[in-house]
Amino acid sequence: MKIVGVTACTAGIAHTYIVAQKIQEAAEAAGHQCKIETQGTIGAENVLTEDEIRDANVVIICHDIAVDKSRFKGKRVVDIPIKVAMKNPKSLIATIEKKLNE
Amino acid sequence: MELKELLDEDIIELNLKATTKDEVLHELSKLLLAHGYIDDVEGFVADIYAREAEGITGMGDHIAIPHGISPHAKKIGIAIGRTSSMVEWESYDDEPVNLIFLFCVYGDENSGTYTTKLQAEAELARRLGSAGVIDQLQHVKSKGELVDVLTK
Repeated sequence: MKIVGVTACTAGIAHTYIVAQKIQEAAEAAGHQCKIETQGTIGAENVLTEDEIRDANVVIICHDIAVDKSRFKGKRVVDIPIKVAMKNPKSLIATIEKKLNE
Repeated sequence: MELKELLDEDIIELNLKATTKDEVLHELSKLLLAHGYIDDVEGFVADIYAREAEGITGMGDHIAIPHGISPHAKKIGIAIGRTSSMVEWESYDDEPVNLIFLFCVYGDENSGTYTTKLQAEAELARRLGSAGVIDQLQHVKSKGELVDVLTK
């Protein structure tokens, strides 16, 4: 599966990056390709390109503040608060796998 | 900026005396004050609590990442502490913590150095999300080893 995502937490200093890493590692451990864009105090990093979004099977938006989703129109989007991915990133990926295979 | 440059052993304490969250925040903030990172302990701690109110900072695996943008922060850095026993802290996995990373950050500034330092902090935060790093952090025996685990 090609997974892309965006993370954005309230202060934009720590959780944004920690959870991006957790999702990335869980996705790759499960054999998927994954790119997570982070939106923090310093702005957006690892920005998703149009091609990457187009080719993705699923978009994960993991956030505690508003994220502009217009880029992801027409894509399967999994929209979750930061705590869901922090608590159990493996289970998140497993749930996504299941849903996509339904 | 290299992550190694951001980490400062002067503000790392592997033997905190603190036994509660409040004591941890004060003990680490006093370290920050002593080394010129902040100009006022109570003001800085209040700003950290403000961020605490917005969402929990116990990220699981006995690690806490308190932080907050504070006008009392004069330098960007990160105080790191380890307590000898577990400390109650609101956590995603409902477990207490013994490793605390207190991010010291001030607000908006239009300078290249500011951005580079925040980027280094973001990179550090990313490392804290890595399962491999988390596993090793609990076993470090020295400040040097801690810095190595975080920066390799």
